[in-house]
Amino acid sequence: MQVPLSLRSRPANNLELYAWLFTRLSAILLFLMAGFHLVYMHLILGVDAINFEVIAGRWQSPFWRLYDLFLLTFGWLHGANGMRIILDDYVHHQGWRVIVKSVLCLVVLFIIVVGAYVIITFRP
Amino acid sequence: MAAISHLYRAVTYRGREGQIAWLLHRITGIGVFLFLLLHIVDIFLMSFGPGVFDAVLFIYHQFLFKLLIVFGLYLGVLYHALNGIRVVLIDFFPPLARYQAQLWRVQLVIFALAYIPSAILMLSAMFDGH
Repeated sequence: MQVPLSLRSRPANNLELYAWLFTRLSAILLFLMAGFHLVYMHLILGVDAINFEVIAGRWQSPFWRLYDLFLLTFGWLHGANGMRIILDDYVHHQGWRVIVKSVLCLVVLFIIVVGAYVIITFRP
Repeated sequence: MAAISHLYRAVTYRGREGQIAWLLHRITGIGVFLFLLLHIVDIFLMSFGPGVFDAVLFIYHQFLFKLLIVFGLYLGVLYHALNGIRVVLIDFFPPLARYQAQLWRVQLVIFALAYIPSAILMLSAMFDGH
């Protein structure tokens, strides 16, 4: 049975729609970009071969800086939004919700600033 | 207590493929998120020069940590990536929802085909180095 439009609860804004769309679009991007990152770093190069010099060399090229900046932004925000959804599922008490989500927000901001800082400002 | 009863219900609820796929997606998602937290902080240490960075990277070169990468991170990322593609496909092409369980089985076959050879490659590289 169709519920009349006037009785359906409408969200105040489109935030959840955009979050849903962002998760899916970033998923496709990350499938390709994080996939290549893992295959290259772990299968082709190998963890033992990675050191300061290797990453400094990689960041000589603006292309790889941009690549890493994309990975950081899309990967970290995709994860942050996922954690927000998970907290919504398990933390029901209103007070705890505010506390836990504020902590998440601070951690997410801190990490993205710290990560972007090193990628953008690094000088060998 | 609430968490224990929740876990009990999550394990005993007979949601079949869809529920298992969802639960694994959630667990691997949290795992990858926590790894990223560590990974971004360690890359940040590049700002402090080779002395500090290479000293901390020593953790990644530990035998136990490399085992964790193969059986934790790599496994988790691969499952999350493949399951995520399945979710995106179903969301963008809703008629596929009828076949979600079959798609999950196909996904597990692709997972095995991708994971087993690359895990063997990483493990053999670990033992060659010693």
